[in-house]
Amino acid sequence: MSIILNRKKISEAVTGYLFISPWLIIFTIFSVVSLVYAFYLSFTSYNLLKPPQLWGLEGYQRVFDDDLFLVKALPNTFKYVIIVVPIQTLLSLILAFAMDQKLRLQRFFRTLFYLPSVTSSVVISLIFIWIFAPQGIFNQITGLTINWLDNPRTAFYVIMGMNIFTTSGTLMLIFLAGLQDVSTSIYEAAQIDGANPIQTFVYITIPMLRPVIFFVVTVGIIGCFQVFDQIYVMTAGGPLDSTTTVTYLIYKWAFRDTTIKMGQASALAVILTFIILSITLIQRSIIEGSGSSAES
Amino acid sequence: MKKIEKVLSMLIIVAFVLAACSTPTPEKIVERVVEEKTKVVKETQIVEVPGKAIEPTIVRLSGWASSPSETALLESLLYKFSVENPNILVKYEPITGDYKQVLLTSIVSATEPDIYYVDIFWWLELATNDVLFPLDDLMASTGTKHDEFIPSLIEAFTYDGKTYGIAKDFNTLGMFYNKDLFDKASLEYPTDDWTWDDLKAAAATLTNTSDANKPVYGFCTPPDPGRFPAFVFQNGGMVMTEDYSDTTLDSEAAVGAAEFYTSFRAEGSGVLPSDLGEGWQGTLFGKEQCAMVYEGGWLIPYLREQFPGTQYGVVMPPAGPAGEGNLIFTVAWGISANTKNAEAAWKVVNFLTNEASQRTVLESGFALPTRKSLQNSDYLTNNPNSAAIFNGSFNGAKPFFWGAVGSDVNDQMGKALERVFKEKQAVADAMKQAAEAIRKAMQ
Repeated sequence: MSIILNRKKISEAVTGYLFISPWLIIFTIFSVVSLVYAFYLSFTSYNLLKPPQLWGLEGYQRVFDDDLFLVKALPNTFKYVIIVVPIQTLLSLILAFAMDQKLRLQRFFRTLFYLPSVTSSVVISLIFIWIFAPQGIFNQITGLTINWLDNPRTAFYVIMGMNIFTTSGTLMLIFLAGLQDVSTSIYEAAQIDGANPIQTFVYITIPMLRPVIFFVVTVGIIGCFQVFDQIYVMTAGGPLDSTTTVTYLIYKWAFRDTTIKMGQASALAVILTFIILSITLIQRSIIEGSGSSAES
Repeated sequence: MKKIEKVLSMLIIVAFVLAACSTPTPEKIVERVVEEKTKVVKETQIVEVPGKAIEPTIVRLSGWASSPSETALLESLLYKFSVENPNILVKYEPITGDYKQVLLTSIVSATEPDIYYVDIFWWLELATNDVLFPLDDLMASTGTKHDEFIPSLIEAFTYDGKTYGIAKDFNTLGMFYNKDLFDKASLEYPTDDWTWDDLKAAAATLTNTSDANKPVYGFCTPPDPGRFPAFVFQNGGMVMTEDYSDTTLDSEAAVGAAEFYTSFRAEGSGVLPSDLGEGWQGTLFGKEQCAMVYEGGWLIPYLREQFPGTQYGVVMPPAGPAGEGNLIFTVAWGISANTKNAEAAWKVVNFLTNEASQRTVLESGFALPTRKSLQNSDYLTNNPNSAAIFNGSFNGAKPFFWGAVGSDVNDQMGKALERVFKEKQAVADAMKQAAEAIRKAMQ
């Protein structure tokens, strides 16, 4: 009896692994192996042309000695996260709440808000380059003469605005799904108690959405820490390093510099991973801590 | 009602998809020079020689493809080679996109081509890591002499007494001037004997900003590390010390050059391309908003293609207090140290850089030849604009190369100028800050 059961279990497991094998193989090769290798490289000096040589923590030391990292990339990245994440979360929550009401042309607006998210980020970047060009639409409408992407004081904000514009649609969709999970009976009860719409939103909708909010903020923070393609296309880290972020710096060290610093770049990648990991853990303890009675 | 919404949504989707498809590339990020097609060339073919059953030696060759017509030119030369050397089969594998990155990764995985382009800006990195094949013995085997080439171009690819590349072509900076704008300001055209004072005076006279929609400036001064060093040389300075172990950007000569370079914009007679919403000064020159620019020979086909009506001339950059100074931009053919067919590879390189091939390259109008003997060729006599850029290599020109931290030097030079232009930092402070950052990068 037990042998038959065991056999069944094994064959089930084999079938299961067979089904996920295409993904598993690709994931192993391109994620697990490269992750482990990058971790190894972070303890080496490697210029691509000579085999990597172990040099302990020297790479990490150099990262923390680097002015571009300390003065520009790290503060820029945090600034980016602190500005973009709250705005995109709030905006998408409001959009989702609005889309959840019985509005006219609802489908039309949903499509409209979601469109930037399905468009390639390179295409959107190009569109924004034209909008914010000196003779672009934005300056023509506002009558300003600022060269937005060439000015160290404005370039980063244009990129932030663009990212909020593109990600809000996806996040709105996630919130919308969360909203539709909230039972209508709770809203009806609130209505009977005489709660106005704002009270309902603050005291019912937001608490009920806590797990969704956690998810959206986490995804948002991770995404913001990894912002790269828009910067690569629009400003290449300039003007005057005002848009250099940690990921762009990794790219610059690993591929752009005359003398390739693959080890140092890998060290920075490892550091970034730990930054993201610790922030996510802190954030989880905050959100779960305040709502532990409802969750567990 | 629902139907209308659906139709509207569909329309928007279609509009976005169309917008995405028809995206033209903005000038801001693309500075590639478009070349005019001057030759229709057959594709490279494998030539079968009947009766000969010998396996041909296969040699792989890579470079970046800067334009279809330039690729066609190379293919036509390779075709000629295959006719003359049926026992060697050249496989041309152009690399599009990030050339250096693709090349480096192929070197890491030991799959690099036998022959490839090496840029003056980063070739030394390859040579010092023993990735390139020293060519001197191969040159001797075919009787090719070093002094048949322009000396500065051979020196540019020499390290530790060995030659690691044969320059395939080159460019220097010439001063392009717009004849119409000079006529309008009733100024005499510049000559090769001009000095900094002449440049300064002409720039002021040529500037006319009365039309706010199309202001005209005398001179363009982009914060570009590929232009500014010429002024440093003209002022008797250097960017790096002889052995590239230190930078001299904070020297008196370099600071003086930066002061002169940034003074044009401060005095209203100079402009940055980005001030007028352009990414490249070549476009401003074509639009007649800049009367004088320092550019290389690549501007000639660009103007022919994009602004065919422009009346312009080219002279050597005006001399500074310490005489002439110029930059050499060049790309060489290098042979991989791992190649199994070094002799066959050398035959190809030797063919591509021999006098007949170089003459073809010159006459196609794409690039300047690296052989001294072509200095007095008919083509250069008939094309004084190209001749000015060719002769620049004999007059105080130094290679566009700053050692192992070259990209940092370029970055810092550009940023120092940007800080002066955009943040009004004092010139001496900006150059000092740049020099210190470079020294830090060298540690």
